[in-house]
Amino acid sequence: MPALLSFDQSPPLAASLRFFLTAPLFAILAGILLLWSGPDSLASRWTPAVLALTHLIAAGFMLQVMLGAMLQILPVVAGANMARPLRVATLVHGAITFGVLFLGAAFLTFSPALFKLAAILLGAGISIFVASAASALYGIASPSPTIQGLKHALAGLTVTVGLGVAMSVSLGWSLDSPLLQLADIHLGWGFVAWGAVLLAAVAYVVVPMFQITPAYPDWFERSFSLSALAAVALWTIAEWLQLDIAMALLGTVVVALAVLFAIVTLDIQRRSKRARFDASQHCWRVAMLSASAAGALWLAASTLTAVGEWPAWPLLCGVLALCGGFMSVIIGMLYKIVPFLIWLHLQNQGQQGRVPAPNMKKIIATRDMDRQMLAHFAACALLLLAVCWPVAFVYPAGIALIVANGWLLLNLMSALAVHRAHLKKIKQVVGAP
Amino acid sequence: MENIRDLMAADHRQCDDCFVAVERLVARAAWADADAEFDRLRDAMQNHFDAEEAILFPAFEARTGMSMGPTRVMRGEHDQMRELLDAAKAALDARDADDYSGTAETLLIMMQQHNMKEENILYPMCDQQLATQLETLLAQLKNGISGAMK
Repeated sequence: MPALLSFDQSPPLAASLRFFLTAPLFAILAGILLLWSGPDSLASRWTPAVLALTHLIAAGFMLQVMLGAMLQILPVVAGANMARPLRVATLVHGAITFGVLFLGAAFLTFSPALFKLAAILLGAGISIFVASAASALYGIASPSPTIQGLKHALAGLTVTVGLGVAMSVSLGWSLDSPLLQLADIHLGWGFVAWGAVLLAAVAYVVVPMFQITPAYPDWFERSFSLSALAAVALWTIAEWLQLDIAMALLGTVVVALAVLFAIVTLDIQRRSKRARFDASQHCWRVAMLSASAAGALWLAASTLTAVGEWPAWPLLCGVLALCGGFMSVIIGMLYKIVPFLIWLHLQNQGQQGRVPAPNMKKIIATRDMDRQMLAHFAACALLLLAVCWPVAFVYPAGIALIVANGWLLLNLMSALAVHRAHLKKIKQVVGAP
Repeated sequence: MENIRDLMAADHRQCDDCFVAVERLVARAAWADADAEFDRLRDAMQNHFDAEEAILFPAFEARTGMSMGPTRVMRGEHDQMRELLDAAKAALDARDADDYSGTAETLLIMMQQHNMKEENILYPMCDQQLATQLETLLAQLKNGISGAMK
C-alpha cells in the first residue's frame, strides 16, 4: 500500500515540461540538417546524415517526450511515485539532451570521441531513468494491462538503449562488432518493444478516455505487450544465429503485431462518441494509418522482389513509422497533456476557485493546434516525397519540418505564457505566490 | 459477486454518456435540449460525488484510519469538477459554444483521470478493506447514485 500514501504527488509541472519543450528543438535541428546535407544524403539508410536525422527524431524528439510523459503517467496510472522526480528529470533530461547532440555530431563526423561521449551520456541518462522508474514500480502489482505494458516497455527501452550504447562504444573505442546486424536489432527493439509497447500501454487508457470509445478488446490488452516483447526477443535470437527462415517468419510476426495494434486502434477510434474529431484524434488516426502503411511496405518488401529491390523502401518505411507514426501521435498527446497539466497547476494555485483557471482551449487555442497539425502532416508528406525524389523535395521537406516544429514549439510556449500571466493574476488577487 | 468497483465504474460510464449527449447537442446548437441534458449530467455527477463523500469515503476512512490519504485527494478533485460544472453551466447559459467546449474538454480529462485513480486504485482497495460490509454498502451506494437520497 505504500503507493497510496502519496496518491496525489504528481510530479512538479517543470519535471515533464522541459522534455516536451526540448523535443521540437531536435526536430527543428533535423530539418536544418536535411537542408544542410541536401539530396545526396537520402541515398540510403546508412548515410551519416540519415543516421543523424533518425536519431535526432527518435532519441531527440520521441524519446524526450516519452520519458517526460512517463514521469506523469506512472503516478496517475500505476500509483508509482518516483523518488525526487525533479532531480531525476533534471539529470535525465540533461544527459539525454547532450547525449543526442553528441550522437548526431558523431554520426556526421564519425569521431570516436563523440561516440564515447554519446554512449556515456545516453547510457547514464537512461540508466537513471530506468532505475528510478523500476524502483517506483517495484512491488506494485500489475492488475491492469497498462501497468504490465509500462513494465514491459521499460524492458524494451533498456535493451534498445543497451544495444545503442554498445554500438557507440564499439565505434568510440574501435572494437570489432557486427554493427549492421546490431543496428537492425536495435531498431526492432526501439520501434516495437519500446515504442509500440509503451504507446499501446498508454493507449488502453487515453484512447477510450479522451475520445470516449469502447475499451480495447480484452484479448488484445492482455496479450499484446508480452507477445510483442517475446516476438522481438525470439526474432533477435534468430537474427543473431542467422537462421534465415526463422528470421523471416519472426520478423513478420513482429511487424504484424505492430500493424495489429494500429488496426485495433483505428477500429475502436471509429466508434468514438465525441461530437467531432479534434487535432488529437486526427493525429492518432494519421499515426495509425501511417504505421499500418509502414508495416504493409515492410511486408511487401520482404515478400516481393520488385519492392525489396527498390532502394527507397527502407527510408520510406522509416519516415512512415517515425514521422507519420510516432511523431504524429506524440503531437496529438502533447495537445492534451500540456494544456491539462497547466490548467491543473493553475487551478491548484488559484485558491479553491477564487481565481478560476482558463479552460484548456484558452491555454492552447483549437485553431493554433489545427493549423500546426496540418503543417506537421504536410511535413510528413514532403518527407515521403523527398525520399522518392530527393532533388525536387529535400529542401521543401527540410523547411516544412522546421516550420511544423517551430510552430509546435510556439504553441507550447504560448501555453507557458498563459501560465505565467495567470500566475501573476492569482498573485494580484490573492496576494499569494 | 457484485463489488464496489463494478458498480461505481458503471456509474462513471453513465456520466460519460451524458457528457457526450450534451457535447453533441451543443455542436448542433440545440441549446434547449443541451440545457436539459446538462442538468441530467450535473445531477448524475453530483449524486455520484455525494454517494462517495457521504457513504463510501467515510466507511473507508473509518476502516483504514486514513482520512488524509486518497479520499482527501478525491474530495479535492470532486470540488474541482463541481467548479468546472459551474463554469460549463455558465457557458451554456451564455450560449457560448467555444467556451463550453473548452470547459467541457477540461472537465472530461479531469473526470477521466479521476475515474482512473478510483477504478484502478481506490475502489479495489475499498472492495478489499470493506469486504465484510459490502452488501449494506452496495445497497446504500445504489440508492445514492440513483439520487434517491435527496
